[in-house]
Amino acid sequence: MIEARSLTRSFAGRLAVEDVSFRVPEGRLCALLGPNGAGKTTTVRLLLGLLPPSSGQAEVAGHLLPGSERTGAELRANTGLLTEAPGFYDRMSGQENLELFGRLYGLRDPELRSRGEQWLRRLELWEARDQPFGTWSKGMKQRLALIRAVLHEPPVLFLDEPTSGLDPAVAREVRDLIADFRREGRTILLCTHNLAEAEELADLVGILRRRMLAFGSPADLTAGQPRLAVQLAGSVAVDQWGGGGAAREALRSLPGVREISLDGTTLRFVVDELTRDTPVVVREVIRQGGEVLSVRPLTTSLEEVYLHAVREVLT
Amino acid sequence: MNRAVLGLFVRKEFRDLRSNRQLWPAFFLLPAVSIFLPLLLLALLPLLGDPARLGHDAGIDLLIQTVANDPTLRGDSLQERIARLLLRDLGLFYLLVGVILASGAAALALVREKEQRTLEPILATPIRDRDLLLAKLLAAIGPALLVAWGSAFAGSMTGLIAGYWRTGKLILPTAGNLVGWLLLAPALAILAALAALRVSARFTDVPGATQFTGLVVLPLSLIFVALLGRPAMASPLVGIAGSALVGLLSVWLFNGNARRFKREEILTRWR
Repeated sequence: MIEARSLTRSFAGRLAVEDVSFRVPEGRLCALLGPNGAGKTTTVRLLLGLLPPSSGQAEVAGHLLPGSERTGAELRANTGLLTEAPGFYDRMSGQENLELFGRLYGLRDPELRSRGEQWLRRLELWEARDQPFGTWSKGMKQRLALIRAVLHEPPVLFLDEPTSGLDPAVAREVRDLIADFRREGRTILLCTHNLAEAEELADLVGILRRRMLAFGSPADLTAGQPRLAVQLAGSVAVDQWGGGGAAREALRSLPGVREISLDGTTLRFVVDELTRDTPVVVREVIRQGGEVLSVRPLTTSLEEVYLHAVREVLT
Repeated sequence: MNRAVLGLFVRKEFRDLRSNRQLWPAFFLLPAVSIFLPLLLLALLPLLGDPARLGHDAGIDLLIQTVANDPTLRGDSLQERIARLLLRDLGLFYLLVGVILASGAAALALVREKEQRTLEPILATPIRDRDLLLAKLLAAIGPALLVAWGSAFAGSMTGLIAGYWRTGKLILPTAGNLVGWLLLAPALAILAALAALRVSARFTDVPGATQFTGLVVLPLSLIFVALLGRPAMASPLVGIAGSALVGLLSVWLFNGNARRFKREEILTRWR
């Protein structure tokens, strides 16, 4: 379980993270979205005990933060971190790098070797294990970094931009692996810019820009106000259907309609309740002389929610 | 203290050091100089100990006066006593070898991890700050001391042979030399390495860390070598006392390093 309680952190008087609270239950994956400099990495460092908060508390894998150096060490033994850069030694082989970090996480032979082999084989790195890390491709490096994060089988994982800069095929592999980690019951905090990735993988999504702007399941976040699109056939007279037009005013006066906009030949409505208001709206459009080509409900994408939240802060 | 983690890091650091082309030339150059220096000095011995030049050369006058006033420099001839003085004081050079190599390696120890972006994954493991700093210290001073002691041994052998060639006597290292090499050299190397580690933790780029170490840490360390080294070469008691003093300073500096090792500063001051 990961829980942040009013976490605040400032650097030289500048707030990097302010009053951030959220909770990721055990076995869930939470995607933390936000633009560059939003405080995602700082939040991860706070939750790992690498940085002390200026104020606030956190609980990660049963350990309370801020805590003593021993608490920090115990916490880190129960968490795995994937940093944005792989962070391995170029001159050492992949296996040597893995063994070094495995030992730092307290693993010993023969367990370390058997786990290392198992993971290297699973991620198709076994053949390259003796080659210097510096000669590996970016995808191979990222896969090794993922192995390092889970080698000691931590219940909690922090993944900072795991697919950043990877080609689509490798990014797909990495996403599949993250989905596997989640299925294995790990609690995961995933920092990403990739909204599709968050939508695909996450049980929970947090939108961060110094403060937590929105937090909830993707379904909750995208639920919002019901919307409806009515596409008209033929050319659409703007003076009738556009702003101030008679037909538009008639539609606006309908009880369940909140907003109307015209986009080309499509009328978009924000309504109170989709099932109740859709027939009313369609009937009125026809009554006003419109030829209805199609009617469909509009869903809000996570991207729209994200952009709306981030822009709202900017303005 | 976790010995397994220490051993692991020390091995990793040795390995890293082996492939460090910036540092390795010094590891070969200084031992080579240590073999060459006794030969050069003893080759000049007839000039230095020439009584005919007495009163004509202030440097020679001072040298002869020093030899005459030092009761520990026994010998049948003036040349032998000068040879003993030269070889004894040359022992200082081997203190320098340890200090130079240890501070050079320590200056890179943390800043290179920052540049390679390996420090954050290390700090994300359960390793404690003191273990990390101790491992870095041991890895910096280990090779430096091996080279310093190897150089002292090679230089002593060269001095023995060259001394016999010049004076017909086997001129062995003094008790002060041995105490200096075995106690004071490690103490000074540790002190210099700790100071350089502090620099390495604070800087974010390798050139900056090495330049600061070369311009500030090394000269300050050399002052310690000069102040303590020469008296220590002449008197083993001074060597022991000096080593104890430097040892205390090192403990203080290590604790200061551990207290000032701010993960937050390191993590938020990447280049």
